[in-house]
Order: sequence, then C-alpha cells, then structure tokens
Amino acid sequence: MTIQAETMNSRTPASAKSQGKWRGQLASYIYVIPLLVIFGFMTIGPIITTVIYSFQKVSLGKPAEWIGLHNYVRMFGNPVFWMAWKNILEFMGLSIIMGFMVPVILSMMINEMRSLGKFFQTMVYLPSLIPIAIALMVWRQIYSPDSGFLNSFLKAIGLHGQLWLQNPLLVKPSLVVVMTWLGAGGSVLIYLSALQEIPTEIYEAAELDGFSPWQRIWFITLPLLSPRMQIMFILQIVNVGQIFTEPYILTSGGPGNHSITPVLGLYNTAFQNSDFGLASAWSVSLLLVLSLFSIVYLILSFRKEAE
Amino acid sequence: MTTTRGIMSNIEARSPKGRFILGLFLVILILVSLIVLFPFAYSFTAGLKTSVAITKAGVNLWPDQPLWDNYVQAWNKFKMVTMFGNTFWVAGGGVVFQLLVSTLAAFFLSRLKPAGFKIIMALVFVTMTVPRIAYLVPLYITLADVPLFHFSLINSFWGLWLPYAVNPFMILVLKSAFDNIPQDIYDAAQVDGASKFRLFYQFTIPLSTGIMLVLGLLSFISLWGDFLLPLLVLREPSLQTISVRLYNMTRNYPLNLFMAGSFIAMVPPLLAAVFLQRYMKGGLTF
Repeated sequence: MTIQAETMNSRTPASAKSQGKWRGQLASYIYVIPLLVIFGFMTIGPIITTVIYSFQKVSLGKPAEWIGLHNYVRMFGNPVFWMAWKNILEFMGLSIIMGFMVPVILSMMINEMRSLGKFFQTMVYLPSLIPIAIALMVWRQIYSPDSGFLNSFLKAIGLHGQLWLQNPLLVKPSLVVVMTWLGAGGSVLIYLSALQEIPTEIYEAAELDGFSPWQRIWFITLPLLSPRMQIMFILQIVNVGQIFTEPYILTSGGPGNHSITPVLGLYNTAFQNSDFGLASAWSVSLLLVLSLFSIVYLILSFRKEAE
Repeated sequence: MTTTRGIMSNIEARSPKGRFILGLFLVILILVSLIVLFPFAYSFTAGLKTSVAITKAGVNLWPDQPLWDNYVQAWNKFKMVTMFGNTFWVAGGGVVFQLLVSTLAAFFLSRLKPAGFKIIMALVFVTMTVPRIAYLVPLYITLADVPLFHFSLINSFWGLWLPYAVNPFMILVLKSAFDNIPQDIYDAAQVDGASKFRLFYQFTIPLSTGIMLVLGLLSFISLWGDFLLPLLVLREPSLQTISVRLYNMTRNYPLNLFMAGSFIAMVPPLLAAVFLQRYMKGGLTF
C-alpha cells in the first residue's frame, strides 16, 4: 500500500503538469475567441459565400439555385463590366502621376522648410481627417457647371468654364484631383517620417564629395525612399481599385459610364437591381485582382521590415 | 550635437541660390495649402449666403451680409445633435470593439503563443489582403439575416460594430508594441504569482496606453467618415451617421443650409486631429 501510494505520488505531478500545460495552452485560446467568432461571421464566412453565390441565383429570403457559370457568362457579356475595368486602369494611370508623385515631391519640399515644415504637414493632412462623403459633396458644388466656383473663377480670369464632371475626357482627371486632395496628406506623413530617418551624415559626406543638392536627391534621397515608395505604389493601386464613393457621389458613374468603377457596378447590380448572384461574380473578379496586389504589398512591406 | 539640416545644408540654404529655391518651395507650399483649405473655406462661406448667392456666378467668397442664422437653422433642421450622437456611437463603439478584440488577440500572438498560434497569425494576414469591398454582398446578406441565429442587424449599430471589430492592422501594430515590452516585467510578475489575465490587464495594457490612444484616434477618424457600410446598414433616418444623412438630404434642403451643415460636420474630426497631433508619429499611418 505504502509503495503504491508513493509511486502514485511521484507520478501524478508529472502527468498533472503536462495536462496543466495542455490546458493552459487551450485556455490561451479564450483570448482569440472574440476575434475568431467575429472573423468567422463577418469575414471568412462572407468571403466563402461570395464565391458560392457567384454560381447561384440569389435573392433575399428565397433559397438559392445553382446556375453554374451563368452569372460569369452574363458578366463577361456586359460591356459595362469591361468599361468599369478600363476606367479603373485609366484611374490608376492618372493617380500614379498625381496621387503617387505629388506626395513624394511635397514631402521633400516640406522637409526642406525646417521650422515651417510642421505647419505645412498639418495643412496637407487636414483633408484626410474629414468624412469623405461630406468633402465630396462640397467638391460637387465647386465643380458644378454653371454655378460652381471653379468655372466662375475661370471666367473671371478670362478663361472658359468646362463641364468638369460631364465631359468624358475631363471626368477622370477631375475625380483624380479630388482623390489626390483627399489622400495626399496621409502619404506625405509617411514619406516625411522616412525622410527624417535618413541620417544627415550621408548628406554631409556627399556634400563634401561635391554632390550638388539635385544629385543628392537623385543618388541618396530617392534610393533610400524607394522601399517606401514601392509599398505606397502598390497601396495606391489597391486603393484606386476600390474607389466607390468618389464616382458614386460626384458622377454616379457618368457620363455614359465613363467613370463607373467595379465597386460602383457591383453596388448597382446588388443594391439597385437586387441581382446578388451577378454582383458576387463581380466581387470575385475584384477579389482576385485586389488580392494579387495586396499580396505583393504584404511581401514588400515584410521585406522592408526585415531590413 | 545633432545638426538639423535637410538635403541642403544650412550654409547652402542661406546662399542666394538656396534662398531662391526655398522661396520657391514656400510659394508652392502656400499655394498647395490654399488649395487644401479652399473647400473648407468654401463650405463655410457658402453656408453664410443665400442659396441664390451661392449659385450666382462670381468669385466673391465672402457674402455681403453673412447670414449666421443659416448655421443655427442647419443645426436644428438637420437634427445635428442626433446625427453627431449617432456618428459618435458608431465610431466610438467601433473603436472600443476594435481595441477590445485587438488587444486580446495581440496579447495572444505576442505573449501567450500557444501551439497553433501561427495559424491565427496567418488568418490575420490573409484577411488583411482581402479588402472588405470584395465581399460586400454576402456581408450585407449576413447582416440582414445572421446565419445560425436568424436576426437582422440592419438598422442596428451592431451591424457596423461587428464588421468594424476586426482590424488586422490594429492587431499587428499592437502585437509589435507588446513584443517590445521587456520580458523581465512579465517574469517578475509571474514569480509573484500573477495570472495570465493579470499580466494582460495590469501590465500589458497600462504599458501600451499611448499606442492604444493613437490607434484609437486614427481609427475613430476613419470610422467617423465611413460611408458605404453605414449607407447599407443604417436605413432608418433617425439612426444614420452624418455622412449618410447629409448625403440623403442633399435634394430636400436648400443649398445654403446644406453647405452650412457640411461645414459643421467637418469640425469634430478636425478637433480630434488637434489631440492626435500630440501623439502623432508618421509611421503609424501605415
């Protein structure tokens, strides 16, 4: 009896310890229960359902029907779908010229301003803070054809007013100007912090070696900024790929679908025509394209962090 | 001694050529600032005019007789108090849920690291790559009829708080903040017999209030201005946030009141920014 009791005693702590450890690990998962539950319902579930719906005829409150590739056939056969993606490519091109380049240049100028830099930094960041829909409604008034401030101003200095949002040629640049106005501040902050990380000794050494300020920008500043710029470039593309509010409020996709975007088309298909299946096919096309860019973004930002 | 200099050295900046370049930069930046400020100023002064004066062609920004009463009317007619209240609840509640979910998850990923935590980490990353817009339709259907439970979150703030609650970016930033807390603190506390949960709320959270404040403010500003999801979820006018409500009312109210309302709507995020300025570090906007 005593021997048995002894062996029992010597055995229990060890097994209890490993059991306790296992329990402790499982207990740790309590911390991620909120994340996992909300995740499941609000993210993972919907992502899977998007793919399923794209092969179904879906209407609220009715059981879905499998219809194979029918939604995709309709989507590819719809000229508006191609128009939306063509528009997005043009938006991306324009926003690379404006939305991407403007913050780089602005941040360098602000960085040179020294004492006044902080003030301008705050200035350009202001539009990022206000509700985008409100800002767009004000811009709609500024762009308005007869009574808008922009055209009044142009007439006052002897130029002709333009149909900024009604002319197929002007609508995209007009929208990209607003997008740049809204988004440049955030990028400027990021570039400024990158610029301030560059050790001044490098510039001093280059100056002693006879590099002119422009050469310093070209051979030192830009190469050192380039990892950030790569990330911002991809981010810009991902963000432009998702634009909705700008054309929704300013143009409703017009004139003649010249500013419709995939998300706006998706929105119209789902919430105006209640065609959830077809809208899901649109979603899948967006999902594929945007995820591709997002993965590149993640790879680049990890590489930057590793450095 | 730390020298303050830009790409140009101080001596170069004071040379005639340097002064010219900096002067040029100053002019450009002042012009940029004017363009940036213009829509704010425009909505402010348009809010002081009659609707006829706004639509009359001309460049005079300041009205002959400022109608301050427009702001009072806009405040009352648009039920600004309700709208601000709704927006505050939506954004504030969203931030609280985000911080709750994210701090717990970040603590799990940074300190607990039980078997299989890498799977959770991967999940967080994967969702970061999928923009919410791409699964908007099923998200809406989910909110209209929550699977398994079958109730609707349309016209309920929960319909926004729950989708907002998962913020992978916040989880990652908090995780790296928690990673930087010295392990000694935890070791010492554990020797004293502190439980895991005490390590969380008595050590980790108080040591991270600064970063939580910044993340919370940034997130508050972005949720305050969110448009598409509130547009879909909040159908009932008395529940709508300021962006959605003003958007829906564009056609029903005179332009001058509308511009005054728009300007009022822009003020609170700007005030939040004043607080943010103190804690702001550029890298955080990533």
